[in-house]
Amino acid sequence: MLSRLSIRSARSLGLAQATRSISATVPAFKSTYDSPDFTHYLNSSKGSSDKSRDFTYFMVGSYGVLGAAAAKSTVEAFLTTMSASADVLAMAKVEVKLNAIPLGKNVVVKWQGKPVFIRHRTPDEIEEANEVDISKLRDPQADSDRVKNPEWLVMLGICTHLGCVPIGEAGDFDGWFCPCHGSHYDISGRIRKGPAPLNLEIPQYEFADPETLVVG
Amino acid sequence: MAFYSSVFNIVFKRNSTFVASIFAATFLLQVGLDEGVTRWYENRNKGKLWADLKPKVLAGFETEEAEDDE
Repeated sequence: MLSRLSIRSARSLGLAQATRSISATVPAFKSTYDSPDFTHYLNSSKGSSDKSRDFTYFMVGSYGVLGAAAAKSTVEAFLTTMSASADVLAMAKVEVKLNAIPLGKNVVVKWQGKPVFIRHRTPDEIEEANEVDISKLRDPQADSDRVKNPEWLVMLGICTHLGCVPIGEAGDFDGWFCPCHGSHYDISGRIRKGPAPLNLEIPQYEFADPETLVVG
Repeated sequence: MAFYSSVFNIVFKRNSTFVASIFAATFLLQVGLDEGVTRWYENRNKGKLWADLKPKVLAGFETEEAEDDE
């Protein structure tokens, strides 16, 4: 068997060398091996060769698109693990532009995942907050102890009863009303009626400049 | 036929253009598929999403003052 192969290769080699010695313009790709005739399997019409070629390239390209989409999703998934983690975000501070809050309006800001109520109080409301008899309150606290600047009321929007978010400009005391169990808070965020035990909590905050409030 | 050969010559012939077209198609596919599936899902669940319920809930708070649900 080995001898038969070597004879074939020698013969074909000999043929190629002979052909090369005869002419210098012999096409180098023309096979000199015996091969069967496949013409009755081939695509007969000459015109559709571009179409079939395009189809093949399109199929390969689509596979590439799916692979690239998978790779992109994987990379994005890994990159998001490197972004700020929840504990870093939890220690973050929040800045609020105060000139965006008109007089007599509430604004809710998300800080460390909690809602913070900011109210731009009118002078009437400040007076109302100061006029309350503190000794009659469930959680006695003067308004001046709760705010740094009476014009701006900043407090955590979490009901001290069981943690729902009270609704602003609602309730019997011109303040906030918690819809879960009916706690009423007044214009200084102090508990007046309902099951909550304490006033709405005041977070750490400061006025970086007269127009900017930094919570946290 | 001229269309197929022109497509080949413009897009598929050089590997640089082929790969560039693959990346462009990937971006379009991801954005388009995300948007399309989101829209189909929200359409299928119409009336049950918070965006649909929010105005009704807020209207309910406007009319009622105190709720006693103990």
